[in-house]
Amino acid sequence: MGGACSRKRDQQVNEDNLNRGVSGRYTKSGSSKWLGTSFSRASMDPSQGKQSCPSLMDLCICKIREDLNKYSTFSMLPRDISQQIFDDLVCSQRLTDSVLEAFRDCALQDLNLGEYPGFNDSWMDIVSSQGSSLLSVDLSGSDVTDSGLIFLKDCKNLQALNFNYCDQISDKGLEQITGLSNLTTLSFKRNNLITAQGISSLSGLINLVKLDLERCPKIQGGLIHLKGLAKLESLNVNCCNCITDADMKALSGLTSLNSLQIASSKVTDNGVSFLRDLNKLALLNMEGCPVSAACLESLTALDALLFLNLSRCNLTDDGCEKFSKLQSLKVLNLGFNEISGAILVHLKGLTNLESLNLDSCRINDEGMVHLAGLSRLKCLELSDTEVGSSGLRHLSGRARARMTERASEKGLSKDNSKSQRSDCHTSGLLNLESLNLSFTVVTDGGLKKLSGLSSLKSLNLDARQITDAGLAVLTNLTGLTHLDLFGARITDSGTNYLKSFKNLRSLEICGGGLTDAGVKNIKDLTSLTLLNLSQNHHLTDKSLESISGLTQLVSLNVSNSRVTSAGLQHLKTLKNLKSLTLESCKVTAADIKKLQSSDLPNLVSFRPE
Amino acid sequence: MKKEDTVKLISAEGFEFVIDKKAAMVSQTIRNMLTSPVSFAETEHGEVTFPEISTTILEKICQYFYWSLQYASGKETEFHIEPELTLELIMAADYLHT
Repeated sequence: MGGACSRKRDQQVNEDNLNRGVSGRYTKSGSSKWLGTSFSRASMDPSQGKQSCPSLMDLCICKIREDLNKYSTFSMLPRDISQQIFDDLVCSQRLTDSVLEAFRDCALQDLNLGEYPGFNDSWMDIVSSQGSSLLSVDLSGSDVTDSGLIFLKDCKNLQALNFNYCDQISDKGLEQITGLSNLTTLSFKRNNLITAQGISSLSGLINLVKLDLERCPKIQGGLIHLKGLAKLESLNVNCCNCITDADMKALSGLTSLNSLQIASSKVTDNGVSFLRDLNKLALLNMEGCPVSAACLESLTALDALLFLNLSRCNLTDDGCEKFSKLQSLKVLNLGFNEISGAILVHLKGLTNLESLNLDSCRINDEGMVHLAGLSRLKCLELSDTEVGSSGLRHLSGRARARMTERASEKGLSKDNSKSQRSDCHTSGLLNLESLNLSFTVVTDGGLKKLSGLSSLKSLNLDARQITDAGLAVLTNLTGLTHLDLFGARITDSGTNYLKSFKNLRSLEICGGGLTDAGVKNIKDLTSLTLLNLSQNHHLTDKSLESISGLTQLVSLNVSNSRVTSAGLQHLKTLKNLKSLTLESCKVTAADIKKLQSSDLPNLVSFRPE
Repeated sequence: MKKEDTVKLISAEGFEFVIDKKAAMVSQTIRNMLTSPVSFAETEHGEVTFPEISTTILEKICQYFYWSLQYASGKETEFHIEPELTLELIMAADYLHT
C-alpha cells in the first residue's frame, strides 16, 4: 500500500519564515524587503480560501494530534504521511522532546523547525536519524550549538540548511558541515560569532547556489574563500558593514552570480568596478552604500541587469547621465537621494522600466514630462517630493499624434512627411497600477488628471490637502484595490464616493473627520481585507456594527476612537480576522482575549495585549 | 440506487460495498480508475478491488465518502474516527487520495 501518490516537495527551507505567525522577535531587514514593495501591492494580498470539506487525510492527522501519547513511533508509515504529520505538529506547536521520538528513523525529507520553541541540541539526534533522506533543515532561531551541528554529518544528501539567528553557532560549527557537499542553499543571517575563518569552511561546498550572510558583522575579508564556488548564483551580505572593496574583488570571477545584495556595506565606486564582468547579474542591491553615480560606468556592460537599488546612497545629480545606458532595467530605486528633477531626462529612454522609486528626492513638476514615455511603468513612488498637479498632467498623457485635417482631406497618405503632426504627446502611463503621492503637493484638482489611468489598483493619497473633492473625481477608477487616505481630510460626505470602489481590499482613513454615518457608507465594501479607521475620535460602537458585515477582514484598526468593549460583539462575524488594534479605546486586553477564545479563532495579534 | 449509478468496492477479505458512484468519486484515485480510458487491473465492470484495504477500514472510508458529500451540501457534522483505526485509515486515505 501507499506510495501511489507521492507528496509534492513544496517545503523548501524558507529563511523568511512566513508560515508562522508567532515570530515577533525577528523582523526582516528593510533592505531585503525592497523587492517586495517594488511592484503593485495589489498582487500581494493573502488569499482568502473558502472553507472546503476536510479530506480524510486531514481528519486522520487531526485525530493523531489529539491522541499523540498513543504513538511511540511513526516509522511504519510511508514517509510522505509521517512528513505530513510532522508538519502538522510543528504548525500546531504540539511537538515536544517525547513526541519527537516517534519520528526517529522516519526518513523525513524536510524539517521546518524555524523558531520552534525548545529546539536545542538534544533534538539533533532525531534530526540525524533521518539519515540520507534528509534534504532540508531549518533550525533558525534555535538554541542549537556547534556541537549540535556534528549530528548533521550523517545527512549526506542535505541540500538546504538554515541556521539564521542562532546565537550559539560559531566558526567551529561551520567546521562540522564541510563534508555536506550536496548543499545548494545555506543561510545564517545575523550571526555575531562567525568570522572569515568560518567562511573558509565553505570553500569546498562547490554545489552552493544560494548563500545568505545578511547582518554578519565579523566576516570581513571572508568572501575571498568563496572564489571557488563557481555555481554561486545568489549572495546576500546586506548590512554586513565590514564588507569592503577587497571583498568585491574576491567576487569578480563568480560569473554565475545573478543576485548580489551588499546594502549598507563599505563598498565604494572602486569596489563596484570589480563587478563589471558579472554578465549574468540581474539584481544588484547597493542601498546605503558610499557610492556615487560614477559607479554606473561599471554597470553599463551588464545587459542582464533588471533590478537596481541605489536608495540612500547620497547620490547627487553628478554623473546621472550614465543612467541612460542601463537599458535593461525593470526596477530602479533611487529613493532618499540628493537628486533633482534634472536627472529625469536621463531616465527617458529606459523603456523597460516597470517600477521607479523617487521617494524623498528633490523632484518637482519640472522633469516629470520625461517619465511620460515610460509606458511599461506599473509602479511609481513619488512620496515626499514636490510633485504637484502640474506634474501629474504628464502621467495621464494626451491624444496620440494626429495628422491635421487638411492633410488627410487631400489624401496625402502616400507621402507622410507632408502630414502635420498636431500633437506629439504619448497616451500616458496606461499600465500604471500603483502610484504613491503621499506628502506631495498634489491637490484635489490635480487628481482629475488620474481619472484616465484605469489600470490603477493602488493609490496613496496621504496628504492633508486632499479632501472629499479629490475623491469625487476618482470614482471611475473602479479597479482600485488599495486606497490609502491616511491623513487626508475625508469627511462623511467623502465616503459616499467610496461606494464606487467595489473591489477595494485595503482602505485607510485616519484624518479624524469621520463619524458613524460615514462608516455606514463602507459597509458594502465586502472585499475589504484591511481597514484602518484609527484616530477618528467620533466613531462609536455603531461603527463596529457597520463593519460586522465585512467578513473578509483580516486586519482591523479602530484605535483612538470611542469604541468600547460593548461593541466587540459586532466583531464576532469576522472569522478571518488575524489582527485587531483598539488602542486608546475603552477596551481591555482581557475583553479581546475573550472574543478571541469564543469567536475569533484566527486572531493572532491584538492590541492592547 | 440504479446499477449504473453505483460501484462495488471490494475489500481484502472479499467483502463487497455497493455505493453511489458520486460517493466513490470523492476519492481521486477511484475517480481516475473509473474514468480512465486505460483499464486498470483492479477495475472491471464497475467493481474495484482493494487487496490491501481491510473490511473495517473500507467501511470507514465509505462512511467518509458520504460524510463528505453531506458536508459539501452544507450539513457540517463531526466525523468520528476510532483511535485504533487511525494509522491504517491514514494509509488507505493516502492511497485513495482522499
